[in-house]
Amino acid sequence: MADLRISGLHKYYGSMHAVKGIDLEIPSGEFTVLVGQSGCGKSTLLRTIAGLEEIDQGTVQISGQTVNDLAPKDRDIAMVFQNYALYPYMKIFDNIAFGLRARKVEKTEINKKVDHVSKMLSIDHLLDRYPRQLSGGQLQRVAIGRAIVREARIYLFDEPLSNLDAQLRDEMRGEIKRLHKELGKTMIYVTHDQIEAMTMADRIVLIRDGKIEQQGTPSDLYDRPKTKYVAGFLGSPSMNFITARVVTQGLGYGLILENTAAQLKMPENVSQRIGEYLGSNILIGIRPEHFSLNNESKPEDSGTTIEVSIDLVQPTGARTYVSFKIGQVTAVAELNPRDIRQNESNLTLNVDVNRCVLINKDTEFSI
Amino acid sequence: MLKKLSLPKIRKLGFKYQLIAPSIIILLIIGLFPLVYTLVVSFQGITMMDNDTSFHGIKNYVAIADDTRFWGALFHTVMFTVIALPIELFLGLFMAQLFIEKLPGRQIFIALLVLPVVVAPIVSGATWSLLLDNRFGPINQIINWFMGEELTLLWTINPTLVYPAIFLAEVWQWTPFMFLLLLAALSAVDKAQLEAAAIDGASYWMIFTKITLPSIWPVMAVAILIRGLDLFRLFDIVWALTKGGPGTMTETISTFTYVKGFQQFETSYTGAVALLIIIILSFVVIGALRKVELSR
Amino acid sequence: MNAKLKKNFKTGLRLAGAVVLTILFLFPIYWLFMISFKTADEIYAYPPVWWPESLQFSNYAVLFKDGDAATVGNSLIVAGTSTVFAMILGTTCAYSIVRFKTGGDHLANWIISQRMIPPIAIVFPVFILYVWFGLVDTYFGLILLYTAFNLPYVIWMMRGYILDIPISLEHAALVDGYTRWQVLWKVIFPMCRAGLFATAIFTFVFAWNDFIFALVLTRTEVATYTVQVTHYFGGQSNFWGKISAMSVLGTLPIFFIVAFMQKYLVRGISLGAVKG
Repeated sequence: MADLRISGLHKYYGSMHAVKGIDLEIPSGEFTVLVGQSGCGKSTLLRTIAGLEEIDQGTVQISGQTVNDLAPKDRDIAMVFQNYALYPYMKIFDNIAFGLRARKVEKTEINKKVDHVSKMLSIDHLLDRYPRQLSGGQLQRVAIGRAIVREARIYLFDEPLSNLDAQLRDEMRGEIKRLHKELGKTMIYVTHDQIEAMTMADRIVLIRDGKIEQQGTPSDLYDRPKTKYVAGFLGSPSMNFITARVVTQGLGYGLILENTAAQLKMPENVSQRIGEYLGSNILIGIRPEHFSLNNESKPEDSGTTIEVSIDLVQPTGARTYVSFKIGQVTAVAELNPRDIRQNESNLTLNVDVNRCVLINKDTEFSI
Repeated sequence: MLKKLSLPKIRKLGFKYQLIAPSIIILLIIGLFPLVYTLVVSFQGITMMDNDTSFHGIKNYVAIADDTRFWGALFHTVMFTVIALPIELFLGLFMAQLFIEKLPGRQIFIALLVLPVVVAPIVSGATWSLLLDNRFGPINQIINWFMGEELTLLWTINPTLVYPAIFLAEVWQWTPFMFLLLLAALSAVDKAQLEAAAIDGASYWMIFTKITLPSIWPVMAVAILIRGLDLFRLFDIVWALTKGGPGTMTETISTFTYVKGFQQFETSYTGAVALLIIIILSFVVIGALRKVELSR
Repeated sequence: MNAKLKKNFKTGLRLAGAVVLTILFLFPIYWLFMISFKTADEIYAYPPVWWPESLQFSNYAVLFKDGDAATVGNSLIVAGTSTVFAMILGTTCAYSIVRFKTGGDHLANWIISQRMIPPIAIVFPVFILYVWFGLVDTYFGLILLYTAFNLPYVIWMMRGYILDIPISLEHAALVDGYTRWQVLWKVIFPMCRAGLFATAIFTFVFAWNDFIFALVLTRTEVATYTVQVTHYFGGQSNFWGKISAMSVLGTLPIFFIVAFMQKYLVRGISLGAVKG
């Protein structure tokens, strides 16, 4: 049974239409990530679930019960906030116990629960301190502890890691994922960071401009994006989009990349889909890792290689990113560092045409 | 779009009005009632002798137009404002410049310099009447030392000395106010901008007018607004020093209204005066608030 | 070396300027305090006595013997009580305005404009109102007026302090299971403790230092110390000893309070425009 069901949800701020009709079902025990650019309405959606924003239209149901008219405190939810929302005038213990006290939990029970949770998050040595005496990472753990100590039905996370530095963020990602495994609770996590979405989610809900653009497992969205926006949003560096004209090639179809002589031969299963675009322009989306170096020309590679001249080489250690021009478009390829020799200015690259995304230039839907 | 009122909305609506209701009620009693009452009474003919509540039209307003004493009071008020305010501003700015950089005992100096601001204005008026007393006051004594002869300056009676006397008290009490605000504003000026300008070879004067002044202007504007409005209702210091005298030479709008309303009991006339003041000031305040953006 | 010398010289010059300024600005206060400790002979000596022979308290003793010192008690009662009321009402009002945008910008602007109306224009009709209701020369009347007069200030200041509180703290408490009233009590008040304290001090000082309202609305029963000071100004001669002693009684507490308030002074007197 779905733990959370949202139907036809709208939210306005004055004349601004922040959430434009969202329908969403979140199954029990799932880790769902709401991802999107800032201002897309994902935080508003989360706060509507929490009851911190009023619903202008539509319903929110938790465990089959409509909660539109319930105050936040009666919805049996817990929430982790972006800026931690810890009370500076309370010790860490009291911060964690604050929600339990609101619910009139017995004192010995509170002690037991706070103790348990703080050990789970390895913050048990900090209970006597004030928030100002803690580091960012420690504060984040306390904020999470404050939420999970409540044993709520649904846990909400509002960009909880965005104030941490990169290393801590990696660590906390793992921590939250581990908590989800241990607790088995329904968690809804909002972020603008597509890496967080990819690494943590059971299911990603990508929101754009107040509407759901696509939802599914991380690999659904990454490998089979429904729109150009989804394709471009996920992955870093992001997908290269190149305009190409559909032409006949052999028995099937090929693509001539705009402003170049390069022609890519499309495999059979792709060919079927692009037949109707013959003679017109479409977009081909190639992820950086779908380029590879063509070391020796093998006959099976023919028709799927392009010649490029290097603009910039950016080594990062494990991988090396190479920028080059395809026609007018700057594209990036992710290559093995050993493949790039110094002072090399031209490369022949293989394109993994099986994994390319083809997009209708007008509708921006994938083909 | 249908906007139905849901239960928490109504509850919340109640909550937010519960919170403000007591304050608004009190403000209406003490803020709005006087306005309405003053408006009504100003069209009547109530004096000490005659409780005449019949409609007199704009008789009182016409009388104000002809009342040289009222215009004199308004003139003095404006004069005190336009003279005292720049003095306080420049003196305050000068003092702030003096203390902006490190100085031994800086905090103590500032703490001491601020004291006049918190003295009750009536007490500072009383203090200055002690200081300026022609015989027992120290100011005349000091002047005598410098002049080398016995002068008995009648500060609060002599028509040419009475204005300086009021300015002395006023400037003494409120320059520290300007000083404190401008010091805070100067401390908030971006040091990097000043250093960049110095490296670019800008002169001290250029740095001051092109960088410092524009960045402290918002605070300066607020300070001018607050002090300007205070000066416009100047009462306590004048009351303690001269009670508006000699004659009506130092009468301000506030002392004039007080005398009319509470010593001569010209109720309706005073009502008209009070309303006129509120109207004049409303325009000033609305205009000034727009410019200053106190709320930011 | 030369540059250092020049810098030292400049600092020395500034220090000298600071000392002179401080002496100039403190001298009136010194004079006021000193006179209160002088004997009548010293007060009315010519040329003036710059430093009294001995500190003596007869000027104060007279005030206490005649019961005049009770006016300081009146000041304390009216300023203290009205401060408590203004703080409670004003803070809750400010919270409503900040969090629910109650009344929009218009209400906030109307409230601050109340602060700008000259007291003389308010006190005149209020006096008439008080005569009708028999509130002249009563604690209640004066407390009500000071509460009303200080409300705009409290609302305006607390609005600023509440705006500084991250809204997520309130949201966290709401999600955690607290009602709106509990949030106000358990989150908002503790979060702006310092602001509450600072604003209360200024509210108190405004009421304490007021003269014109007390002058009009009191007679004998609840006359405050500022009114009492002016009673010692005679037609021909002034009672300097009483004036100064009464002034000191009223001023000294304020000095002590302000000594602890340095941090909040700028924000308080600039109506929150300068965060200091």
